[in-house]
Formats: sequence, C-alpha cells, structure tokens
Amino acid sequence: MTLLDVRDLSVRYEPKASRPLDAVQGVTFSIEPGEFVGLIGESGSGKTTLGTALLRLLQRPGRISGGSIEFNGTDITSLPEDELRSLRWRDLSTVFQSSMNSLNPVVRVEAQFRDAIEQHSSLRGEAVTRRIRELFDMVIIDPKFMSAFPHELSGGMRQRVNLALALALDPKFILLDEPTTGLDVVVQHSILENVRRLQAEQGFAVLFISHDIGTVLDLSDRILVMYAGRIVEDQTAGALLRRPLHPYTKGLLGSYGDPREETVKITYVPGRPPDLSREMTGCSFAPRCPERIERCLETDPPLLPLLGGRAACHVAHLQHEEGGAGPHGEPKRGFEGPQFVKTADESRSALANEVVLSVENVSKVFERRRGFTVTRTEAVSDVSFELRRGEVTALVGQSGSGKSTLAKMITGVETPTEGRIVFHGPDGDKLVSGFKGRALRDYRSNVQMVFQDPYSSINPAKRLGYVLSRPLVNYQGLKGEELRERVKELLERVALTPAERFINRYGYELSGGQRQRVIIAKALAVEPEIIVADEPISSLDVSIRAEILELLNDLVKENDVGILYITHDLLSARMLSDEVIVLNNGKVVEKGPTLGVIRDPKDDYTRTLLDAIPNPF
Amino acid sequence: MTYFARKFGFFLATLWAVVTLNFLIPRLQPGDPAEIMVKRMAGKDAALDQAQVEAMRAMLGTPTDSLWHQYISYLGELIHGNFGLSYTYYPFPVTEVIAQAFWWTVVLVTIAQVLSFVGGVVLGAYAAWRRNSRFDSVVTLGSTFLGTLQPFWIGLLLLYVFGYSLGWFPTSGGYEEATPGWNWPFIQEAVSHAFLPALALLIVTPIGWILGMRNTMIMNLGEDYIRLAKAKGLPDRDVALKYAARNALLPSVTGFALALGGVLGGAILVETVFDYPGMGRLMGEAVEQKDYPLLQALMLLTTVGVLLANLVADLLYGVLDPRARRAEG
Repeated sequence: MTLLDVRDLSVRYEPKASRPLDAVQGVTFSIEPGEFVGLIGESGSGKTTLGTALLRLLQRPGRISGGSIEFNGTDITSLPEDELRSLRWRDLSTVFQSSMNSLNPVVRVEAQFRDAIEQHSSLRGEAVTRRIRELFDMVIIDPKFMSAFPHELSGGMRQRVNLALALALDPKFILLDEPTTGLDVVVQHSILENVRRLQAEQGFAVLFISHDIGTVLDLSDRILVMYAGRIVEDQTAGALLRRPLHPYTKGLLGSYGDPREETVKITYVPGRPPDLSREMTGCSFAPRCPERIERCLETDPPLLPLLGGRAACHVAHLQHEEGGAGPHGEPKRGFEGPQFVKTADESRSALANEVVLSVENVSKVFERRRGFTVTRTEAVSDVSFELRRGEVTALVGQSGSGKSTLAKMITGVETPTEGRIVFHGPDGDKLVSGFKGRALRDYRSNVQMVFQDPYSSINPAKRLGYVLSRPLVNYQGLKGEELRERVKELLERVALTPAERFINRYGYELSGGQRQRVIIAKALAVEPEIIVADEPISSLDVSIRAEILELLNDLVKENDVGILYITHDLLSARMLSDEVIVLNNGKVVEKGPTLGVIRDPKDDYTRTLLDAIPNPF
Repeated sequence: MTYFARKFGFFLATLWAVVTLNFLIPRLQPGDPAEIMVKRMAGKDAALDQAQVEAMRAMLGTPTDSLWHQYISYLGELIHGNFGLSYTYYPFPVTEVIAQAFWWTVVLVTIAQVLSFVGGVVLGAYAAWRRNSRFDSVVTLGSTFLGTLQPFWIGLLLLYVFGYSLGWFPTSGGYEEATPGWNWPFIQEAVSHAFLPALALLIVTPIGWILGMRNTMIMNLGEDYIRLAKAKGLPDRDVALKYAARNALLPSVTGFALALGGVLGGAILVETVFDYPGMGRLMGEAVEQKDYPLLQALMLLTTVGVLLANLVADLLYGVLDPRARRAEG
C-alpha cells in the first residue's frame, strides 16, 4: 500500500502586507514504503513549504488551501491536532534544514530524546537510556555525548544527533530538509553515507529535499523536480540522469561537469524564477527555456505520464508523440543555454604570467590569553605560493583549514607571525603587514574582497547607484556626471544591463546572482590588482553558479587581475582556477596546476575532498 | 566550575572598589564639614563662631591620622557595622535608624517585585503563545497604556479613592497602635497599610516583564527547536513551557535579579506618597536633611544590594543557560 499519497496539494501564503502567494500549486505524488525520494528545486521553488505542509507544521500566514495528504491510509490534511499528535514522530519524523538550531539549547541532548520516546512509547527509565545509546551507536557518535548540551557538539555531530532523534521511534517516513546544508563537504558526505546505510537497513521511506542535484542523484531511488511551486518532472534517478525530460532538469544537470576532463563545460539557466504572487499564463519556466515553443507561452503544461515517469513539458510530450521525427525534433540531453567552458590550455598560459603577490613561508599563530595561561594555536604554518596577473589560484580546504586566516593576512587584516607577503604593485614591491590608516587604504585600492553572502553585503537602505559610487568617491574622488558614468560602466561590466534600470534599485530587489554581481562590481570599482573571493558562489543556487564563475573568469582575462579563489569545492575550483593549493590544518598538503591535482591527487586529504564531490556521472 | 569562581572573584573585587570609593568621595569634597554644619545652623550671613566649630568638631570627631590610617580604621568600623550617628535622628546610630526601616521596605517591595515578575512573565508567555488573539491584544495594549503612567501618580489616585473618599484603607504610616511583633493585630494593621502602596507598584512593575517576555517568547517560537518539538508530537503545554518559555525566560531572569537588588533602595516616591516608614522614605529624608552618615550608609547598602543581586543573576544564568558557562569558561 502507498505510504504517502499527496493529491493536488496547494499551499497559499496570505500575508497582511502583501499580495497572497501560492507557494505550492496542485502538487500530486506518492511515496511507497521504504522508498527514497529526492525533491530538488532552487530557493523559492516551494520545496521546503511542501515539506512543512506534509508534516502539518505550516505557520500563519501559510495554510493548505487545497488538495489532500493521505498517510498510511489516513487523511491527515485536516486531522485535528490532538489526533495528529499520536502519529507525529512515531510514523512521521524529520531532520530540519538548520539543525544547528533544532535542538533546545538549554536542555541536555538525552532529555530531548527522552521526552519524544516517552511521549510515544511505553519505554521508561533505564530502557529509554538503552534505546538512546543504541541510537547514538547507529549514527556513530560516542554515547558519552548523551549528557552533553547541544552547543558542546560540533555541527556535524549535532546533525547526526538530529538524525538519531528522527530514528528514535522507528518511523515509517522521514523528511530530510537539506540536512547537510552549511556543513563541510567531507562531513556532509559521511552523514549522507550514514543516512543511506540506515535507510537500507531499517527500510523507512525518505523524502530528501535538496537544491543539490548531485547529492540527490547519488542517494535517491526516484526524483521529483520542483519549479515555481509545481512538480515539473518525476522519474527514477537512473532515467532522469540518462534521459531528463524537462528542460529545467537538463539545466540543473548541466551545472555539473566532470572536473577530470581536459575541457569542462557547464551550463547555467539565465534569468530568474517567476514571482508567484503574480498571475501568469503558459509554462512558468518558458521565459528561461531554450526549447520553448509557441504553445508554452499560451497554455500551462500539465504533469502527465511520459516514458515511465511524469513531465510537465509540451515539447517533451510532442517529441515523444512524434517519435523524434516530427517538427519538434529529437529529445535533447543537454541544456541549450549559455555555457561556461574552461580548457586546460588557458591555465597553462596563465601560469606563465608576471607574479603580483608572493607569499613566502608564512605562519600565523594565535595566542589566547586567559589569566596566566596562554594557549597558542597555529592557524597557518609555513605556507608559500605565488599569485600571477590574469591567473586564478584556488585555496581549497574544509572549515578550520586556515584558508580564511590566510585571506585575512593577504588583505592586510592580520599580520603574519613568521614569513612575509610581498605585493608587487604599480608602485614597486611592498611588504604586506601591519598596514594602518593611509597605508592600509592605499593597499585596499589594490586588493579587494568578495564575500560569501551577497545577501548581507549590500546596504539595504541605499540604491545600487549609491552603493557603487562609494568606493569611487572614496578612492578616486570622482563626482557629478563622471561618477554617474563610471557607475553605469561598472554595472554594464558585470552584465547588469541596461544600467539605467539597475542604478535606482535596491539590493533586496535583486536575485542572489544579481546581488553577487553588484558585489563584484563594487570590488572592481577601485580597479584592483588582486581580488580575494571567499566562497563567492556557495550561497547561490546551483543553476546560476556558473554565471558568476564565468563573470569572474572574464574579469581575469580582460583586466589582468589575479584572483585568489577560496572554496571547499574542487569542482568550482577546477572551473575557475589555474592553480590549486590544498590546505589541511594550516599546512599546504598539495599544490599544482588544477587539472593535474584533480586527475592525480597525491595526498590522502585531497582524495577525501575529491570523493566528497557528488558525481552523478 | 571556573565560571562560578570567576563570577565570585569579580564580585569581591567590585565590592572592594565600591567600599573604597564610598570612603574617598566625601574626602575629596572641599571644605570642613564642621564649619559647613555650623554655618548651616547659624544662617548664611552670620560670622563663624570658632567655639561652635570646635564643639562641632568634638561632636563629629576630627581625623588626625594619615589618609591610609583613616582608611584602615574605616574598614574596621565597617566590618563592625558602625556607620556613625545620624544627624536627623541624633543621637541614634545610623544602623539603628536603618534597621527600623529595613523590614518595612524589604517585605513590601520584595512581595511587589516577586508578584510582578511572576504575573508579568506568565501573562507575557501566554500572550505570546496565543499571539494575535483577543487576550494578547488586551494585554499588549493595556500594558502599553499603563506603562506610560508613574507608580507614584497611581499611588495618589489610589490614596484619594480608597484611602480618602472610600476610607477603606489607612492613608499613611506602617501601622497604628498595635505593638510591632508577631501578633495578629499588628499583622492586620501592617497588611492594610501596605496594601495600597503594593497595589500602586503592582499596577506598573509587571508591564516591563509582560512586554519583555512576550517579545522574547515570540522570537523564540520561530526557532527551529520549537518546530521540532511540535513535530515530535509533544503536547502543547510541554512545547510552550519546556521549550519556548524556558528559553524566553533567560533574559528576564537577569533583569529580575537586578530589580531585587534595587529593593533595598526602596520605592522612594511611592513610600513618600504613602508616608510609609521604609528605606525609600528614609533616603528621601536623608537627602533633604543633608544627613551624610545616613546617606552614605544607605548608598553603600543599595550598591552592595545591587552587586549581590548581580552576582546571584550571574550564577543563576550559569545554571539556567549552559552556553554562558562555556562562552567565558
């Protein structure tokens, strides 16, 4: 019997201050007992809302506005809370997105297992403790941490504890909502391995929500692709990879490439998802779709069975009816949108350029004084490398590997304890250390940073024109018409065109990718020699990451800047960088041309990082 | 454990600093206290009578030792609880004057504060749990309105209506004829005298707690651990109390401990309005009469009270929020 049967489910948000919005629109799917189903979609596609609705945890102003959810034969769509409560956790449990926050911070971990277990079973006292110990063993955590408080556990451990908690009562169904977002790649990988093993052993069904199609393909039996509040494709993982039906799925798949190839191509989906609070006609993906036909703009394609799966695409259905020989041609495997290509040849020539920054045997020791005791931590030890003009060096490592400390020393925020950093600037060589006041300001006009989070790096109270004019006024003393011209030029340079349309807008009105473009434009304003980019794409949706990588790549080529690209992701390092430096515990464990390191990693740690890249191919 | 040890060490250091400042500040003021006293008694324009000044010096005692020796003997006197004689209640020692007022205030203000806190926190938590309900609107709007009023003004109203017009309660003092002590007539009188001042305080003091608790709790209700608690199928009462309220209470606890520390200072205006024989009224008197020894003792007492309360708040916070222990330890 079907475990979870969702029919025509809609969720509507009706905020007092703005237009109502249908976040989930007529979604129908089912999950069989023991099935592992992936749900992918970019931010704002309604995937988390759908998950929350399934658990009946929607909060006002959101509510289920239509359809039904049947769980194990019981309609839970409007079941009173009292009756629902006995089902919760015993049958349906969950691991949330930000599990960093999903444990009560002031209560010991054990008590948070105990209340759930005692609520739903007849176990008491010592028997509960035994069960908790068993659960800790399942997720490979030492049971001594039972008596810990949540803050005493690392992020990865907390997420494992949450997983153990979700398994406490042998549920039939677990909703995993981006359970590893924000964790380190290596940790992420090992947790997901753990999930897969437990699922195989215990046979619970899973709905795994993620924006990362690579991970979803790795784990799931079947995949639902969500776009703008609807399911646009439903296929088994194998079929979806072999023969994606919906162009959006093709776009998501296109954002992956094999980093070992001589030439890597990744595609991206231009534009942005539609505003769900506005009425629209036709297919919601049509404006971004390279395969669109007349009919797509007129009628909304329903989700219909196709080749053993389901797809909501006119073109896919027509092509199938015509057998690939009709006017709509053969089904295409790839996404025929804009493409970013990186060849190994480009890197070879870039590595011969003139050096702009040299880091020589640099170490950084942090001292923490507490009373009379001093603790010394060596964050970076004996690191050397060179950054060239028109070249990108990737600094790869997991959190705590010392890559951010190194970036801080290069931008002049921290001073190295040993060794030296030399900037070969337009005014001759300069030692980067202990800059203050004017010297620091001068240096900053040569070295700029691009941060990870584009959402918090733009002043929300100012228009983009103002935001971009600040560095120009501060460093170059521009004003009036000249300033305005230069701001426009910057906007055009990062492809925010036409500039007039963006100059008077606010940062929050833009999509994540557009915001990151603004940040890059801001960094370019001072015409720097070096840009230090700290995980500039990790908070962006997969479908648009390549777009930002391409922009950075163009900047390197056209302006001869050197980019230090800090990341934990070797695939993006391959796409952008010419040389890669792998850091582990503050030490360089491997260094060399990117392709060489990826094809033939010498160090175990590099291999671990490579294995952690979800590789659906 | 180091957390608690450090907090206690910090308390001792601050206490020493307070005591020392209390010693130094009067000595840094210009002028001879004896001359000032005589001048004040004789009138501004009268010539200074040296004999009177000598007499006054003999009465107050003149320091002859070095500042260091004065400091040592000051500390000694302090340990023995000797704060000198009050000018206003001469020749009673300051400690005796304070001892008389002490219990009146402690009982009245402590009860008012505890009730305010408990009531305020409960109302605030319930309003947050049922947010946007009618109950919530009434509580929030009512609090915002009452919060603009001052307790002494409410005291005056109460005094007029219930004391003067209706005559249900006495209008001044702490008791009438009964002998103070553990006897029924006295307790009855004390309670009826304390009722109106307590009510004046109880109308206004809970408002801070209500609004504070409501806001923190609403913020907490959005946290993931609340969603998870609901997903766990725990009864609403458990989610509200063990998960939401337990976390939302943390900031209020510190505030409450500090409020209790302020108890020793009494409620100056309310006590004055009701002519209530507590520390607040005493403090008002001491300021008005320039009764330095009394004022100095009262100041020291309130500061120590606040410090102690602060220590208790810190220790309590360490117990209630395990994160605080680690963040600094």
